[in-house]
Amino acid sequence: MAKMTLEELRNLRNSKKKEMTQRDGEKSAQIVIGMGTCGIAAGAKDAFDAFLDELNSHEIKDTRITQTGCMGLCFSEPTVEVAVPDMPRVIYGNVDAEVARRIVREHIIEKKLVSDHIFDKPAADIITD
Amino acid sequence: MHATLCDLITDLVQNSFEANAAEVTLNVEETEKNLKVVIADNGKGMSAETLEKAKDPFYSDGLKHKHRKVGLGLPFLFQTSEMTGGTATIESEEGVGTTVTFNLDPANVDLPMFGNFSTAAATLMTYGFQGNLTIEHSKDGKSYSVSREELIEVLGDLNDLESLTLLKQFIEGNEEEING
Ligand SMILES: Nc1ncnc2c1ncn2[C@@H]1O[C@H](COP(=O)(O)OP(=O)(O)OP(=O)(O)O)[C@@H](O)[C@H]1O
Ligand SMILES: [Mg+2]
Repeated sequence: MAKMTLEELRNLRNSKKKEMTQRDGEKSAQIVIGMGTCGIAAGAKDAFDAFLDELNSHEIKDTRITQTGCMGLCFSEPTVEVAVPDMPRVIYGNVDAEVARRIVREHIIEKKLVSDHIFDKPAADIITD
Repeated sequence: MHATLCDLITDLVQNSFEANAAEVTLNVEETEKNLKVVIADNGKGMSAETLEKAKDPFYSDGLKHKHRKVGLGLPFLFQTSEMTGGTATIESEEGVGTTVTFNLDPANVDLPMFGNFSTAAATLMTYGFQGNLTIEHSKDGKSYSVSREELIEVLGDLNDLESLTLLKQFIEGNEEEING
């Protein structure tokens, strides 16, 4: 890949924006990845790359991904919170690259929970919008 | 110790975010003989006493991890530099900010792998943090610099998939340029 300038980045963005104008508004899914010291050590960045790759390969453009610090669940890092409209908000534990791909295919696309990795419904004090 | 130097860097930049800094800069300067990293912020800073405690792995300020008394970011830094004959210094003033500087020998066999800088930079740029982050990376004289403010101006919401993907391509392109 060649070096890109900010101007080229802007042009790319503008051309993509035209393709998506009809789909503006509602976001299909929100993903929050825990990237504290423990999350990073446990491979949260591989999960991040895998989410990006899998979402793009299924062209699920209207998704937001955010990083946060320690979610307080260090023993089951990497932890990832997933919120899809009309589905319960879920925290998944031990999310490696493969689990990240499953979350995209099963939870986000098929609307089925990835039951064997559910850590918990979030506690009010650790997750804020 | 962290698996990669990029993980260590991520951790230290997050400390600056957590200190409520408005401006954070990450400067990475690589040559054949030396790896120099400077992380500077204008966040809440530390008193001399806090700074001394912060070097202890069994200290965390109690704000972030409510049930944990261990903070590993700074201890990992000192451990890495001590094990490999590098240097690490922290200058901090309460209410003014903090600058963490370290120099490591890239040829030292005990040094962790460098890791994937593009992913580290992309995750830091899209972290839930309201201030500005500027990343400068130079390698053997070639360099690039990019700030969160510039990226937001060009891409809008950095956290939607489209922006994230473009942002990562942008950083990868620049990384390839300085590594090539
Ligand atoms: N840039 C900074 N500005 C202000 N205070 C800092 C900064 N970096 C570290 N500290 C202080 O030093 C303490 C120890 O930092 P350290 O990174 O070692 O652990 P932590 O951030 O508390 O936990 P962890 O990194 O393991 O999630 C922090 O809790 C904070 O009080
Ligand atoms: Mg820390």
